[in-house]
Amino acid sequence: MDIIVCLKQVPNTAKVKMNQDGTLLRTGVPSILNPYDHFALAKALEIKKQTGGKIKVLSMGPTQASEVLRLALALGADESYLLCDRAFAGSDTWATSYALSCAIKKLAPYNLILCGQMAIDGDTAQTGPEIAGHLNIPQITFCTDVKIKNDILTATKLIEGGHQILEASLPVLITLTTPHNFILPYPSFTDIFKGQQKPLFTWTPKEIEADSSKLGLNGSPTRVSKIYPPAPKQKGQIFNLSSEDTASEIVKILQAKKVIK
Amino acid sequence: MQKIDSVSRKLMLESLKHYAKENLPFDLLRKCDEENSFPAEKVKKMYKDLGINLLLIPQEYGGLASSTSDIYRVCAELARIDLGIATAIFATFLGSDPLNVGGTEEQKKYWFTKMARENLLVAYGATEADAGSDLIALKTRAEQIVKDGKITHYKINGSKMWISNGAIADLYTILALTPGGPSWFLVPKDTPGFTQLKHEDKHGIRLANTAGLCFEDVIVPAENLIGLKEGQGFLQAQAVFGYTRLMVGALALGAGQEAIENAIVYANNRVQAASPLSHKQGYMHKLIVPHYIKFEAARAFIDKIAKILDENNHGQATEGAIAKYYASRAANKAADDAIEAFGGFGYTKDFSVEKIKRDVKITCIYEGTSEIMEMTIYRGRWQEHLKTRGNFYLDMARKMEDIKEIDFGTKAIALGLKALSDILEECRLNRLTRHQYITFELGRLIANAEVAFNFVEKALSGKVVEGCPFNLETIKTMARINAKNVALDIATNGAKLVNSVLEKPTEKDFYISQITKECVGISKDMDALSIVLRDTFRN
Repeated sequence: MDIIVCLKQVPNTAKVKMNQDGTLLRTGVPSILNPYDHFALAKALEIKKQTGGKIKVLSMGPTQASEVLRLALALGADESYLLCDRAFAGSDTWATSYALSCAIKKLAPYNLILCGQMAIDGDTAQTGPEIAGHLNIPQITFCTDVKIKNDILTATKLIEGGHQILEASLPVLITLTTPHNFILPYPSFTDIFKGQQKPLFTWTPKEIEADSSKLGLNGSPTRVSKIYPPAPKQKGQIFNLSSEDTASEIVKILQAKKVIK
Repeated sequence: MQKIDSVSRKLMLESLKHYAKENLPFDLLRKCDEENSFPAEKVKKMYKDLGINLLLIPQEYGGLASSTSDIYRVCAELARIDLGIATAIFATFLGSDPLNVGGTEEQKKYWFTKMARENLLVAYGATEADAGSDLIALKTRAEQIVKDGKITHYKINGSKMWISNGAIADLYTILALTPGGPSWFLVPKDTPGFTQLKHEDKHGIRLANTAGLCFEDVIVPAENLIGLKEGQGFLQAQAVFGYTRLMVGALALGAGQEAIENAIVYANNRVQAASPLSHKQGYMHKLIVPHYIKFEAARAFIDKIAKILDENNHGQATEGAIAKYYASRAANKAADDAIEAFGGFGYTKDFSVEKIKRDVKITCIYEGTSEIMEMTIYRGRWQEHLKTRGNFYLDMARKMEDIKEIDFGTKAIALGLKALSDILEECRLNRLTRHQYITFELGRLIANAEVAFNFVEKALSGKVVEGCPFNLETIKTMARINAKNVALDIATNGAKLVNSVLEKPTEKDFYISQITKECVGISKDMDALSIVLRDTFRN
């Protein structure tokens, strides 16, 4: 089973605050592997353990982003690829997914592409599905688990109020969301040192044969007009009434707001 | 042989942090502290899962052969978790040092492979009841057992005390007196006649097992004599003093940082009189900012000496002493102020600063007390002062005077170094170093001067030390404040020191008025640092 896992280095948003102008206050904020991607990598390692094969990890970003690839190599990935060039800078999710899909074509053959559900710095959840679109392969999003048996993939997809169990033939792209009780794995010192000796390739648009007009700011249809923190929620109204009376009050409010008649 | 690179180093530190978060929560540490118990299983698991014990073992024997720069970073991070656990792991590093320095290839292969494969806890046994800093008073003896004209075994008799991992190690390196002089021996824990005494009930680092050892006719094969040559013990011990003391400095740095960063987070959240404590000038200037300046100065110094040791392997005895002395004193004061910064909460065992305060005291004691460090520093540099006819610090001052950028505190530290040179010269002319207290105080002034000089040099280099959480502008501000404070301390306390033993006051003024003028701007710089610190350690 040849698996490609897409990884992103992100600021640890648990430690980020906003400046008054809406930009991120990055002082002292460490960069980490996007936790959803970390989970996707953990799943890839689990599958590799059962089926054998190779895991290739792929990221796009500045030189510093190679750190997350090194973490993946330490955890057990076999090869890593970093798309790093000024031409990639300023890419939105569409341009990013185009670049990553070009790289994935160069990494073929593959059976499975795993991505995190979204990156915690942007929260768009668009890049994974868009990669599948560029590659014209099926996709299943928001999965908490993925298993492979006899070349059939079974995914557990999180839906409102429960899970869907879906099957897909290969190749397929899966985006993964981390179950709340999952402890992300970290490598031993020995594995980190072994990872240091594994291949890490840096690719520019030339190596992935990308159309440069589709990269960076030029290739990005998204325009950010303003970034601002959402206004704090107003304090809610609390009814200290019986269940029946509370229900009646809620009905009245919903009618007043014309939500129900 | 490939070395651990900076990304691997960073990943190792991250793995260590995550391991501690999952396996060594504060509640567990607190319980062990209360029960005075060493969490042996957790540490053994740490060896097995992380391979932290492999850092000092050569690669050819299954280890990672880490550099001094790697080890000091790990020591500092371990100390942030718990200084007792850090001590237990450091003791394993320390215990394997005599083997590393003096072992034959065959000995290294056998013992290091065993240590790596079996995750052995190691202890370093030098100290005795009457032989602490004065190892020459060593009484434990190793008698030769000769058969057919050949030494086949040694019989060890005597006792050791204050041995880290004393009651729990799997393997011990023991210093004993042979007919050829002091020598190191490898003694496995279950050797007949070798007993481990009770775990001491200590003030701090209660998670580190500390015990005495007793040797009654303990027979070890002659192959267990490290280096297979008698009389090499002191040389082997002294060869690594620079290194081991540097590591104690790193341990202190980690513990101190943990205390102050906890205090900053608390100060960001504790609102009194309508604003967080971290927004109050007096609170920050007094209890927080001075400590972080010293930590960064210490970090820059430790990092520099680690890099020198990486190149030269051994030596740096004076510099190692400076690192330990400076960082341990800074960390102790910081931990004390961290309790103050927490108010009543800090005085309870619910908050880690209370434990850190008790733990960090040991860094002023083990591997040589602060007073031994002062003497070592003084002796090392006094020789330099005499050899260079008073130019040792003047040369450093001239180097700073040649730099046009006064923004880095160059002018202040140049004046401070000239003052130091004058003080040393006054001591020479008036034979003041006959007074032991003077030598101690000179040791202190020298340590502060050299650390401040190096900090300014580091800021001038345009690079920040790996692992430092601040940008260059902040480091520059810190180096500037530190240079001014240190220069003023040298001049004022130096003057007091000299005059305190003279019959007539000295005519030298030690540049006091010039240095005082250099102090302009300290308060503004401190305000700027207060903001940086509260933003950097928000939660």
